[in-house]
Amino acid sequence: MVDDEGDLVAGHLQELRRGTVVLACLLILRQPNYGYALLELLARGGVAVDANTLYPLLRRLERQGLLTSDWDTGESRPRKFYRTSDEGSKLADLLLGDWDELTTALHHLRGDS
Amino acid sequence: MSSLRTDPTSTPTGPSLTERYIQAALRSVPPAKRSDIDAELRSSIADAVEDRVAAGADAAQAEEAVLTELGDPARLAANYTGAPLHLIGPALYLDYVRLLRVLLATVLPLTAAAVAVVQVALHVPAGRVVATVVGTTLTTGLHLVFWTTLGFALLERAPGVRTPLTGPWKPSMLPPRAGPRAPRIGELIALVVWSALFVTAILLTPRLSPRRDANGSVINILDPWLWDSGTVYVFIALIALSVGLTVASYSATRLAAFAPLAGIPAAALLLWLAANHHVLNPAFADALGWSSTATTWTDRGVMIAAGISIVTTILETAARFWRLWRR
Repeated sequence: MVDDEGDLVAGHLQELRRGTVVLACLLILRQPNYGYALLELLARGGVAVDANTLYPLLRRLERQGLLTSDWDTGESRPRKFYRTSDEGSKLADLLLGDWDELTTALHHLRGDS
Repeated sequence: MSSLRTDPTSTPTGPSLTERYIQAALRSVPPAKRSDIDAELRSSIADAVEDRVAAGADAAQAEEAVLTELGDPARLAANYTGAPLHLIGPALYLDYVRLLRVLLATVLPLTAAAVAVVQVALHVPAGRVVATVVGTTLTTGLHLVFWTTLGFALLERAPGVRTPLTGPWKPSMLPPRAGPRAPRIGELIALVVWSALFVTAILLTPRLSPRRDANGSVINILDPWLWDSGTVYVFIALIALSVGLTVASYSATRLAAFAPLAGIPAAALLLWLAANHHVLNPAFADALGWSSTATTWTDRGVMIAAGISIVTTILETAARFWRLWRR
């Protein structure tokens, strides 16, 4: 039963956090960065995501024009650096505004003034 | 150059785990995207391994741990390409189930009936008829399920098909009424009237016959054995029982799911009578100048009709019971 309850909580948490990875990426990548470093930054920033989700996600965001990318070959190994595009930046602002509104709404629902 | 030592892509003993992992992942990625994903994946894995080695892990163990975290390469590739990881997704699943249900419910009974009729017409022994009908029906069912599933799996992978084929759902699409229902009063009256006419006709056949024998007495259309043995009264009683139960289910709704089953004994008796040539009076057939083939075919026709009636009643009741149970 304890496991079931743990799974239940984990499932709801995952559901709640699903869209936040995109927003976190768009926010962090206002400073250009590469996949693995971004993975670490996200984990340290409290938005843990699996590598096998993040790497494909970055490409999807790039395809949607929300990120741009450049290969940096100057380092010890070539790395693909992503950066939030103007369009991505606009979307990030919109999402963040929505997130704030949701936070206010939820607190309001709980009865906080 | 510490990166050379920890770079997992080059080992003296053939392709490393990472190399094999990347090859496995890229296999299902379109060639145009391959080199870019290859390079990024390679450097990401190397970064992760380097990090773990810097934290004190053994190089081989670090590589294994990083690849384990990345998971099944086929799944990673599907994440990259957006390929579905299911055969039929939620958009098409309901269409799939509905189509399959309609196909199975219509094609299978028709196939079974058609095969039975043809086999009986070819004078195939009863045991082989049953075996052929069962075999053909099973094979047809397998084909229906397989090709429908294949079609929908392909549709799921076709670009742009992500909405139900039947369009968005509307309340007007609701079935008229689910589950068993009490018969309507008009249906009951029709049932009682038709049954009464049918029973009267049977009882009157000894008098209604258009033929008389040499002595001037009536030749019964139906086998006189039915009256001699009293079987005709058993048959009429069974029909009365069936009609009575259906009428009773008008007020007792729960009976409605099972009332049709009461018709089975009468149909089974009819089937048995036809199988034993106790339906038509041979003397009457002779008087009409019918060949023996005609009487044989009358018996077969009655058997097939009774058989179909029994099978559909059982299927219908099973379906009703299933709906009742699911609610």
